[in-house]
Amino acid sequence: MRLLFAAVSAAILVGAAIPVQAHHSFSAVYDGNKPITLRGKVSKLGWSNPHAHIYVDVVNQKGETVTWEVESASATNLLRAGIRKEDFIGTEVIVKGFLAKDGTPTVNASSFTLVELKKEYTSDEATPGR
Amino acid sequence: MKQAAILAGVCLALVLQLSGLAQARPDFTGTWRFNQAKSNPNIAGNTPNIPFPSQIVVKQTPAEFHVASTSVRQQPLSATYKLDGSKVTVQAPSGITETGEARFEGSNVVITSRRSFTSPLGETVVEFKEVWTVNGTALTIEKTRIESGETSTEKAVYDKI
Repeated sequence: MRLLFAAVSAAILVGAAIPVQAHHSFSAVYDGNKPITLRGKVSKLGWSNPHAHIYVDVVNQKGETVTWEVESASATNLLRAGIRKEDFIGTEVIVKGFLAKDGTPTVNASSFTLVELKKEYTSDEATPGR
Repeated sequence: MKQAAILAGVCLALVLQLSGLAQARPDFTGTWRFNQAKSNPNIAGNTPNIPFPSQIVVKQTPAEFHVASTSVRQQPLSATYKLDGSKVTVQAPSGITETGEARFEGSNVVITSRRSFTSPLGETVVEFKEVWTVNGTALTIEKTRIESGETSTEKAVYDKI
């Protein structure tokens, strides 16, 4: 019984921790000194709040294809801007953002353009202290 | 008559040149803090379009322009630019190489810089052009980011503290 209680408590704590981890400050994760522009095809989409995650296949300078994880605004905000989940898959996208501090192929997008659809999204999420 | 006209022209050119030299350059020296309310909305917080520092310390002499920039939870940058426009190395965080030049254009200081770093893309190069204007206790910086042939410009205002 004690073991069951401990397991349930642990599951609740872990579950509660996930949304907290998902919403973080820009400066904790991304390097404001490293702006970067990507161009590639969307291969996968995480349509979620508080951030949508766009996975983009980008060919690097060695000719290798690297999948980048692009953290964008929330799915709700994208919908408000007229951008739907269906707009992404397989489309070419240009992303302007900032490289993750850990050097992995991860960026925070300040804007992106869906090339074929000629739709541009510029984040207006900026608020002080975030 | 012709000689008099030439002499008058030379005198006028001299006067204009002297008045230009006599015009004092504005002094940017001071500690400047970012004022979000007066700046473009999308340059602070979660998704800045162009990075601007939270605070800038400037020490200006007739020949040099020292700039030290700090931002919240970001590595600082500093440089001592020669106001003759010659290229200097910016003291940047590990992994970033940056050079830049500064010069006066009228009463504005124009700083151009070239930053490079390694990313999973390969060698990434970003160029910046900054036009600094000081007006009393307000410093305005208009910054253009040039990367992969794309340009974007934003404006930030700083208050003297």
